[in-house]
Amino acid sequence: MKRLAGLPTLRVNSARAVSIEYDGKRFHGVEGDTVATLLYANGTRIFSRSLKYHRPRGLYSLDGQSSNTYVDVDDIPNVCAENTFVGNGMRVEPQNVLGTPEHDWMAFMDKLSWAMPAGFYYTIFHKPARLWPIAVRHIRKTAGLGSLSPDVELRGRFDQIYPAADVCIIGAGPAGMSAALAAAAQKLRVILLESRPWLGGYFDYRTRNHKPGMPLYLRGRQLADQLEQAPNIRIFKHTAVIGCYSNNLITAFQRGSEADCFAERYVQIRAESVVVATGCIERPLLFENNDRPGIMQIGCAHRLARTWGVLAGEQAVFSIGHDLGIEAAIDLHDLGLSIACVADVREDGCDPALPPQLEARNIPFYPGWVAAKAHGRKVLKKVTLTNLSGVCKQQFDCDTLVASAGLTPVTGPLALAGARLEYDAHTGYFLPTGIPQKMHAAGRMLGLEDPTAIELSGRLAGLRAVADCGMAVGATISGVEEELAKLPGPARGSKFVVAPVEGKKTFVCFDEDVTIQNIDQAMRLGFDVTELIKRFTSAGTGPGQGGIAGHNLPLYVALTHRSPDLHPRPTTVRPPLVPTLLATYAGTNHPMSKRTPVHASQVAAGGVMERLQPWQRARRFCADTTARAEIENVRTNVGMLDASTLGKFRIFGPDALKALQRVYVSDMARVSTGRMYYSAMCNEDGCVIDDGVATQIAENDYYFTTSTGRAGETSEWIRYHTRYDRWDFHIINLTDAYGVINLAGPNARKVLEKVVDGAVSNEAFPFLGFREFMVHGAIPVRAMRLGFVGELSFELHVPSSYMQSLWDILEEAGEEFAIWNFGLEAQNTLRLEKGHVILGSESEQRTTLHDIGLGFFWHRDKLEAQTVGAVALKQTENDTSRLKLVGFKMEEPAARAPRDGSPIVAERIRGYVCTARYSYALKEPVGMALVEGYLAKNATRLTIFEDDCKGELMKAKVVPMPFYDPTGKRMRM
Amino acid sequence: MALTITCPICGKRSGYEFRFGGEDKGPPPQAAGLTPAAWCDYVHRNNCVAGVQKEWWCHRQGCGTWFSIYRDTTKNLEVAGPQSEDV
Amino acid sequence: MLGRGKRLWSRSKRLKSSYDAVIIGGGLHGLATAYFLATRHGMNHVAVVEKRYIGFGGAGRNTAIVRANQRTQENLPLYKEALELWPVLTQELDFNLMFYNCGNLNLAHSEAALKAMRLQVASAQFHGIDSRLIDPKECKELVPALDVSDRLRYPIYGGMYHPPGGIVRHDAVVWGLASGASQKGVDIIQGVAVTGIGVQGGRITSVETDHGTITTPRVLNAAGAYAAAISCEMLGMRLPISVLTIQAMVTQPLKPILHHVISSGTYHCYANQTLKGEVATGAHMDPWPNYTTQCTAHYIKHQAEALTQLLPCLKGVKFMRAWAGLADMTPDMAPIIDGNDPVRGYYLDCGWGYFGFKSCVVTGKYLADFMASGVCPQILRPFTGRRFEQHRLMGETPALVHYSPDN
Repeated sequence: MKRLAGLPTLRVNSARAVSIEYDGKRFHGVEGDTVATLLYANGTRIFSRSLKYHRPRGLYSLDGQSSNTYVDVDDIPNVCAENTFVGNGMRVEPQNVLGTPEHDWMAFMDKLSWAMPAGFYYTIFHKPARLWPIAVRHIRKTAGLGSLSPDVELRGRFDQIYPAADVCIIGAGPAGMSAALAAAAQKLRVILLESRPWLGGYFDYRTRNHKPGMPLYLRGRQLADQLEQAPNIRIFKHTAVIGCYSNNLITAFQRGSEADCFAERYVQIRAESVVVATGCIERPLLFENNDRPGIMQIGCAHRLARTWGVLAGEQAVFSIGHDLGIEAAIDLHDLGLSIACVADVREDGCDPALPPQLEARNIPFYPGWVAAKAHGRKVLKKVTLTNLSGVCKQQFDCDTLVASAGLTPVTGPLALAGARLEYDAHTGYFLPTGIPQKMHAAGRMLGLEDPTAIELSGRLAGLRAVADCGMAVGATISGVEEELAKLPGPARGSKFVVAPVEGKKTFVCFDEDVTIQNIDQAMRLGFDVTELIKRFTSAGTGPGQGGIAGHNLPLYVALTHRSPDLHPRPTTVRPPLVPTLLATYAGTNHPMSKRTPVHASQVAAGGVMERLQPWQRARRFCADTTARAEIENVRTNVGMLDASTLGKFRIFGPDALKALQRVYVSDMARVSTGRMYYSAMCNEDGCVIDDGVATQIAENDYYFTTSTGRAGETSEWIRYHTRYDRWDFHIINLTDAYGVINLAGPNARKVLEKVVDGAVSNEAFPFLGFREFMVHGAIPVRAMRLGFVGELSFELHVPSSYMQSLWDILEEAGEEFAIWNFGLEAQNTLRLEKGHVILGSESEQRTTLHDIGLGFFWHRDKLEAQTVGAVALKQTENDTSRLKLVGFKMEEPAARAPRDGSPIVAERIRGYVCTARYSYALKEPVGMALVEGYLAKNATRLTIFEDDCKGELMKAKVVPMPFYDPTGKRMRM
Repeated sequence: MALTITCPICGKRSGYEFRFGGEDKGPPPQAAGLTPAAWCDYVHRNNCVAGVQKEWWCHRQGCGTWFSIYRDTTKNLEVAGPQSEDV
Repeated sequence: MLGRGKRLWSRSKRLKSSYDAVIIGGGLHGLATAYFLATRHGMNHVAVVEKRYIGFGGAGRNTAIVRANQRTQENLPLYKEALELWPVLTQELDFNLMFYNCGNLNLAHSEAALKAMRLQVASAQFHGIDSRLIDPKECKELVPALDVSDRLRYPIYGGMYHPPGGIVRHDAVVWGLASGASQKGVDIIQGVAVTGIGVQGGRITSVETDHGTITTPRVLNAAGAYAAAISCEMLGMRLPISVLTIQAMVTQPLKPILHHVISSGTYHCYANQTLKGEVATGAHMDPWPNYTTQCTAHYIKHQAEALTQLLPCLKGVKFMRAWAGLADMTPDMAPIIDGNDPVRGYYLDCGWGYFGFKSCVVTGKYLADFMASGVCPQILRPFTGRRFEQHRLMGETPALVHYSPDN
């Protein structure tokens, strides 16, 4: 097809050719073509087949308002051809066809539409019942648009930015551009978002005069130039707004060009004030076969010629309801399109200057007429026009029908932000009311049509946004308001909804193949709320999300509904306003985790790392998943565990002790210097949430530890439970400031004494003692003698920057003993043998301190402390019906350990295994379980129901804990 | 919806920096003689106000302060408190 | 002729002056209870009073997943029966509820999660429910799009596969039940708001609405997210509930690619492909109370991050619609079902959080028994609201919940 050349409005570069592969054939176009314009210029009329009926569908709008032109590009489905620029070598395939778009084997579906009334799937397929599973398979295969391979990888970089602005303007048409200039003139930071690849909006392609000698397109480019030169305006082109939230949070995504470092970029803006100047789209005309390829909207035909240099066809009929249609007919005629006639649904009210221009070109003009039916089996061949009563009819041959009922404002951003949409009888629009504070609407969406008024309304909105930013522009605003009042206000719009037709194939929603007949069917069944009709018929729920259906559905419902109180109500607008790639939302999506100061050496030592809350930790250092060698090394020799993830805190100040008394269950007044003190925290339910050790460092100054999982919460927990008290204390989270090494095993002392400057004998540094040492005279270490793993052990807390050094020093000192790492798996078995609990492992949300047998830590006589959980501990202390923690061994010592989590049953479920492992020290399995109180007595049999046990229950018996070294002499040696 | 909360120390910030701390029910009741029902009433039961309520928030990713604000739960927006409390 | 059906339910807004029972809320639980009262107990002098339109609330906003692999034995039998009811009800209502029995795959991302799953799997098996633990390779066989490599932020350690679960068309359940109840004489009254509940001598006497007063000896509060506020405002009964906004979204429709419901607690994410081909996904709640049904920018981004980690091929797919509903959460993630305590004739069915869909039909069935006889069926007894003051949390969630200040 020959393209129009030399038009001043063109946005393509004819000098540079591009080509794509479509349906296996190569097609050529020019730089600036979208996939849709390139294919159209090459004669493609049928782009796809519709979802349900497999009807041929063609180019209808150019802004992706329906799925008509969705194609598969390089194995990515549902790509909108209308706003995807052509890249050299793209591989494009049509979708939802069996065969080709021209010859689709599924086309017979269109003949079966009688069998598919609204909601038909609710009433068939279930009788007889065995039909349904077969029907499901078939429905799934037929449903869905594009197909995706499970292995496909989307290419390109996706990233995100989070700019802030004083004023954010959505839409760079004449109103948006004027608003931006007004705000920028006040030296404010302005962000301007435009969904098309260039600024100008509906000025951009029009040659009608703005002022004598100044065509609209030139005016648009003039304003754009001014904007580009303003240093404080950040312009985002080809950027679709997708979300609009309270407190002026705007989200959008930008499509990258070849020069950009991203394929698409997520943009999230927080602005002080927002101007919405999104203009209008066209309201589709409802008539028989209104979806035939060759039928398109005014802007589509006009921009196709003016922006891309492609004439829509050879012979066109216009059936329009707005002056833009007449203007397009005149302009396209002058560009070479033959026009059979222009029908205007309005009987009067068009710009009186326009009909004479049609007459001058011998184009017949039919006011009060409308398209009633399109003819042609696959593409448009002719059209029947009728007057509004449907009495007179006339047919015209044509290959193009430019059809549109009028305009409809793009109010999506305002509706998302919380504005209500109310039907306005004058404009026929759903206009926003109750717009949130610091948000302003401007331009064509308010019903304005006069170009000067549109610009001025943009300027006014821009100034109001300036005022939102605290600048005194009141006088200027009043001036502009007065000026605007003198210009033409909102124009009367077309209320016309549907041509006098039967409506069998009059589509309200192209994406879901919903006809007005379907709407009628739904209403007959009792669906009388637009929102329910939408759900029942699925009109507006397709990929275009109501772009086509959005305006007509509620109007049609209101028109045909006989209820007097029915007021047209639009369906709810939902984000995203434009379908958006998951890749774009996900952005760079960096994996984030915390590493301990000795992470690298843990990995180098063969550590199998796993994620524990935010951390990476070593589970084991050997291939054996039971970590036997590590366990035995700790029991018989000496091992080192990186325990840096432990929560570590300093609390100090006159009321520090009171705060500790509030959150810890025991009497914290007993915490003294030089000694470690174990205690636990409960929540209000008396359920254990944390345990750890504490010591006093100085007067009113304490150091304590928490479990890894609680490290992030502990400060706010203590502050929360003292929030009414106005106590004077400070709490500092030292978790990241200190690394921790647990040096454990009978040879631990021999290693430690080689490197520290103080005595570490059992007398000088007894069990539960706390000492501060210097290692090699340079590294300060806080050492505590604890016994979590049940052997002589020293927990060494060291400033993070020294952690690796201390680790290396200990490793060197321990070389003669063959010191070795141990990981979490080894620690888990070691502590299990000791009957030491890990909260979350031996407890759940509802487990109290009493339930895990630690009730004795609760100091009942500190009522004045109002300890968190104390009330519940008192109320539950004698409750025997709760799940209690017990130790167990297998009845047959040779049996294997049951798997963690296996229920314990006796007619019903009575509890479950928390942790069970084979104990190499005891040469039999040991475990801990939470069981109903009546099973908690010693020597009671527990029957364990493992998954997939096929009725074979495992038998265990309750035994006292600890299993290993019951007197605890090994950790005290 | 994009909640912002005004921290008394750090000013107006994104709501995601904060952690919710419940309806403001006042200080806990004295433990002595507290019945299970009265205890439950304070700890677990809520007014579930569909409208403006006073509630606790902590600036978790900021200064760490606990403070109370008024918020409209039907709009998820911080609002000014009753006049009497302003002084 | 197809498409020429009669009205599914009557249009009337006219209330009679008295009913045997008034149900507040035209959601799934209310409609189901009305349906069973009318069909199983012959109590058809019942009004379902709905402030907006039927299915406006959680009924129309959930992602319609059904399963019976809960954690506790109090819950398992209830959900098991619920699963078995979908095909039965489809025939009984003669309305296709479109139960798509695709099975559910819940992913574990740590040893601890596998242990938690084993308890669930074994408990289910103990109750005769098909559920099993599978390894990452088997996960990949079930869901070829799944990334089971260690590139993930939280690599997959295995999964809990539950074949009897799937999805049901939620709107169909609303319309089917409304139609079934209406045919049995239940009045479904839309656009009428309850403004008060009358009590005399410790008994329910009436319900006030903005269209007049109804005399009735029984009221079921099945107002979903608003149940707690109604209970507090109209009867002064405060409940251990927090109402949170929960969001979900769908992608553009695709040919079949996901053949099971998949979910991951660690990623706060579940996804399934509807019969229409859309990938429906959700799970997140902003952890503070809200009655707004607006979506957040924060969440849709989070959801894309999670989903594209688990299923990398979905990067090339577009989200097209997000929405939000309200979830009434209790401290132990189990519902509150009570009756005649302390007010005779006042029944309460709330606190379902995000489990209200899967349970609706079976709960309605037993609630109808409860309301008709005044005696609470055994299966519903564990759900009494008294359990919180008795320090008997249900244990449906092993870990502490994050929306309360209580952790």
